[in-house]
Amino acid sequence: MIRIGLRDAKSHLRRFVMSIVAIALGVAFVVGSFCFRAMLDSQVESMMATNTDADVYVRGATAQKNDDSSDSAAMPSDESSGSSGDDTTRYNLVDPDLMTTIDGVDGVAESRILYNVSNVVLVGADGDATSTLGGSTMTVGLGDGTTWRSTSLTDGRWPTADDEIALLDDSAGTAGLKVGDTTTIVYPDGPKDVKVVGEFSCSSAQAGTIIVAIPVSLAKSYYQQQNDTTDVDEIGVYGSMTTALSEAEQQDLADRINAALPADSDATAVTGDSVREESTKSTQEQLGFIQPLILIFAVIALFVGSFIIANTFSMIVRDSMRGYALLRSIGASPAQIFMTVIIQAIVLGVIGSVIGIFLSWGMLALIAAGLGQMGMSLSGSVTPSWSDCLVGLVVGLVVTLVGATWPARTAATAPPIQAMNETVNPEKPVRPRAVLGGVMTILGAGCWWFTVLLANAKAAGDGGPTPWDAVNDMSVGWPLGVGAGLVVLGIIVLAPALVVPAQAVLGWIPSHVWPVTGRLATRNISRAKRRTANTATALFVGVAIVSCLGVVAASAKTSVNSLVDTGFKGDFVVMNAANGQITEEEIDAVKSVKDIDVVSPISMIMGVKYGGERIQGMTMTAESNLFTDIFEPTTTAGNAVTALDDGELVVGSKVAERQGWTVGETVDVSADQIEVDEDATQAAIEAYRQQVQQQVTQLQAEAQQLLAAGDTAGAQAKADEATKTADEAQDVDQSQFVKTKTTTVTKQLVVGAIIDNSVYQNYVFVNEDLGGELGTEQTTFTMVMYLNAAAGADLATVQTDLEKAVKPYYVLTVMNRDEFKSTVSSMIDQVLMILYALLALSILIAIFGIVNTLALNVSERTREIGLLRAIGTSRGQVRGMLGIEAAIISVFGTLLGIVVGVGAGAVIRAAYQANGLNTLSIPWSMLAWFLVLSIVVGLVASVSPASRALKQPILDAVASE
Amino acid sequence: MTGHSARHRRVRQGDAVGHDSSGPVVARAIHLHKQYGEGESEVVALDDIDVEFRRGQMTAIMGPSGSGKSTLMHCMAGLDTPTSGQVFVEGREVSAMGQKQLTNLRRNEIGFIFQSFNLVPTLSAEENILLPLQIAHKPIDRDWFDRIVHVVGLGNRLGHRPSQLSGGQQQRVACARAMMQRPSVIFADEPTGNLDSRSSKEVLEFLRRSVRDYGQSIVMVTHDPRAASFADRVLVLADGSITLDMDHPDYEEILDVFADNGDGDTAAEMAAAEETVEAIEDDPKVDGPASDAGIVQDPDDGEVQ
Repeated sequence: MIRIGLRDAKSHLRRFVMSIVAIALGVAFVVGSFCFRAMLDSQVESMMATNTDADVYVRGATAQKNDDSSDSAAMPSDESSGSSGDDTTRYNLVDPDLMTTIDGVDGVAESRILYNVSNVVLVGADGDATSTLGGSTMTVGLGDGTTWRSTSLTDGRWPTADDEIALLDDSAGTAGLKVGDTTTIVYPDGPKDVKVVGEFSCSSAQAGTIIVAIPVSLAKSYYQQQNDTTDVDEIGVYGSMTTALSEAEQQDLADRINAALPADSDATAVTGDSVREESTKSTQEQLGFIQPLILIFAVIALFVGSFIIANTFSMIVRDSMRGYALLRSIGASPAQIFMTVIIQAIVLGVIGSVIGIFLSWGMLALIAAGLGQMGMSLSGSVTPSWSDCLVGLVVGLVVTLVGATWPARTAATAPPIQAMNETVNPEKPVRPRAVLGGVMTILGAGCWWFTVLLANAKAAGDGGPTPWDAVNDMSVGWPLGVGAGLVVLGIIVLAPALVVPAQAVLGWIPSHVWPVTGRLATRNISRAKRRTANTATALFVGVAIVSCLGVVAASAKTSVNSLVDTGFKGDFVVMNAANGQITEEEIDAVKSVKDIDVVSPISMIMGVKYGGERIQGMTMTAESNLFTDIFEPTTTAGNAVTALDDGELVVGSKVAERQGWTVGETVDVSADQIEVDEDATQAAIEAYRQQVQQQVTQLQAEAQQLLAAGDTAGAQAKADEATKTADEAQDVDQSQFVKTKTTTVTKQLVVGAIIDNSVYQNYVFVNEDLGGELGTEQTTFTMVMYLNAAAGADLATVQTDLEKAVKPYYVLTVMNRDEFKSTVSSMIDQVLMILYALLALSILIAIFGIVNTLALNVSERTREIGLLRAIGTSRGQVRGMLGIEAAIISVFGTLLGIVVGVGAGAVIRAAYQANGLNTLSIPWSMLAWFLVLSIVVGLVASVSPASRALKQPILDAVASE
Repeated sequence: MTGHSARHRRVRQGDAVGHDSSGPVVARAIHLHKQYGEGESEVVALDDIDVEFRRGQMTAIMGPSGSGKSTLMHCMAGLDTPTSGQVFVEGREVSAMGQKQLTNLRRNEIGFIFQSFNLVPTLSAEENILLPLQIAHKPIDRDWFDRIVHVVGLGNRLGHRPSQLSGGQQQRVACARAMMQRPSVIFADEPTGNLDSRSSKEVLEFLRRSVRDYGQSIVMVTHDPRAASFADRVLVLADGSITLDMDHPDYEEILDVFADNGDGDTAAEMAAAEETVEAIEDDPKVDGPASDAGIVQDPDDGEVQ
């Protein structure tokens, strides 16, 4: 029997091609998703290893909530992208003076603080800002004794002066710079010409991050300015400067340091490994969504695969029935017949899985190469591990066996005499499935309905739709997910019962346009309802996912666009694309452009507290022309324009809601200002000067003594030393003496208006005068400038002029209204691109399914098609008939997918409207294209089965028994 | 070939027949040769046959299994391509036609009735009858339809699907369908092969009536002498050649041919086949094709083992 099975497999190999392709695709996705995951993990790990290579970290002991937006970026649209922030736990900052304590601990080789400056742009040799996909620019103060353990200079030296930098060797290559070159660095306060004085290496790959080393003192001062404090995130502690400690040694060292840390320092020492693990984990979690996404498509592919296999084997079994009957009649047992089929399935499954594993390897290599091309080199290996391969093989085999079992059973159990005949077993009734599927779908829809109620209740802030608090407190994600699962499964179960109505509705047009072929095709749809439904299901799931995401993306886009469309009256927007900050000088440059009429810069003030506390929301300064000329506010209470002019607060509705503020209420507004303490600085410089003076005086006195003693040479040496000391004092960096002081400004301000535009919802506005009092140069950042051209000015010319004016600053971007809108939505467009790729994938898989089903149908209807040909049906009519049939199946699946997908999208939109999805937008044109595409898909899928049907001589068709 | 009645005559080779469509000959074959396989496995199904089928007549082709009777009909109808020789239907050379012309031929000149599986299962009886006209985008002659339906006696079953009709009814629907397009010639391949004797008679009477009343030309392949006795002319094939051409033979005469020892084992075989068929017809429990398949293996209908 085994030999017969193998021979059959060999002779059917051509038939198996489609099944093998489907299995291979499914397995490739499964293996690929695991492998991709592993790749990302190793990537993230290697990234972390370089930047976080200390043995022990001393950091804050108190975990903090993701607090306000002190360094969240600039665009007004940011709010609409919802809670996209990273989920890393933040801790309180620690005093850098702890270093002295730490250095005294036994076993500590060195402790180091590295100051990072954010939002710095390196201008490359070509004069453009250097950037890489995925990696960002990391600007860090590095010098002798202030580096990571794995860092070493390869060329030149570390920067010491403010106009010097050193570059990571890899970054230098990216930027096209080498030691000795001059270039420009755009610091938060503007561009600066610098010289590259050194190159350094880091032992592991940097994943495209550009690392710029600047003098430690400069980094420190920028860090303190940016973060409004002298405290630091963490202090890195090395037990040895050459080799990393083991985990146990790290723990020992951390324990010893903890014992030494003063109780009031609010600091704790943790092992480097735990920190690395934490940050790796959070990064991995952020990237983690990719795997389930790939897996979903793997499941679709495998579903279709097992279904194709079932179809293929049904065909093979039907063709071989006479052979089986012969075997049975000469004494083969049903089990033996079963085995001949199953052996073929095993052969098929193994071949498909192995091809799939290779395919996944190729796919990943391609992705890695593609990302490398875009500047994001992956360090992880693309070779699937043995366990991945095993999983793939098992999955492929199981799916194949599942698909082949039913046909094998049919082959084994058919009585020999029946096998001699061509009998089509009547289909089992679909009513039970209709009932079960209907109930599941309704339950799922109920869950969705509840989701919407829950979300609305949460938005309104009242109790909730049920009397039970536990239910009301439930996250909307639960009923949403359960509902989606129920609906999708319900529809899959229900689908066979929907075939007849679908046939009536979808077949109406074709049977009227083409009375013969259309009607025949339409009737054929419901001949094998389960098969039709299963074929359509493959498309259904894919289309449902894509149209759901499509609705969410379109809603997000519209939610953003609607505010731009309805409210935005400005002609131009100037933003700092790199770091979200515009300097005074840059503002002046923009203002000086001819024909600019209204300039409305929006600045953010950091560290503003209300009632003594930080609140969720940003404090912004603006002039009332923002409201009159740029974005008209939707005022829910008060008058925004007069309120702002009168020095009152204009509060976004979300902030007002959270704080419970109403118009007329008085709020304590306070801001910490760190400013240079001139007196203290002067005193420090004076003290230093006196100290030097003393030294010089003493040296000179010694020189006098030596001279008096007759030691001319010694006297000369002493005199030289004195001069040198004095000279050195001249050269010393004055900035190290700068002392800062913190003062708190408090104002009692009245809430003058509450505005509701989504762009303003999370802001509190004060006018520029108040802004000047609350903030300082260091704590106020201009984020964006809205401009209006003078009436009658040629916008294109003005834009050119503007672009010319900002060119020297490298980082400023000028956008006209349309560009502004598209910037806001370009991220969403990228999401849509991914969607289309996924759609293409699911369509590809679905085509296989349809082709296969049609092939099976054609093989079942060989005689019928022969008959039709014999009574005068042309080849075109046969093709048309199968084409219509395929198109109806495909449209059926697509329609189901669109309905469920749009439903799910609408529910998601409603559930998360608090996160900025205020407007429901259904991308009708996209969905219409899906439908058109599905017709095309059906027609394409019918080509090869139709050719096969036509290849069969009519004679064989009608004469076959 | 001795001992046959006077009406039996040898087929004259190369009979000259007019080519215009109103002539007395509706279809003819010239030097028709068909062989399957090459070399040792070569089987000659038709050996240089010349034959014409006259308009307004029902011609039955008889012969034992493997005599080539089905192959002859298939070649005449353009379902099979001859190895050499020519086939003409209404003066047009079928053997030289491409797919398009063949489709046209089937739409306009030829009707078919098969042994089984004559109807599209998804269509009702009426839809099946009208199908050829609709496929060809021809107007439907309602009077003609009503008349045919009346003759086949299916008036109250027009809305039924084939699965709801008996074998005889299905075959009558197939006859009506073939008549509906008023083809020049209807080729019927064992039209009664699957039917009991009562249903067979109904179908055959309908066919004879359509010849007599409406001048329809019919070519029918059968191995049932009773069916052949309905024909105006009976051709007997053996080993790929026409051995007999009988004009209006009655049932007894046909039986005589095969009972006669003149044709040796061919006749004996024929008689044996006939007896079997009758035995099956008498036994309602035995399904036609199942038992048939085991006993009468026609090597030229695509099932060569």
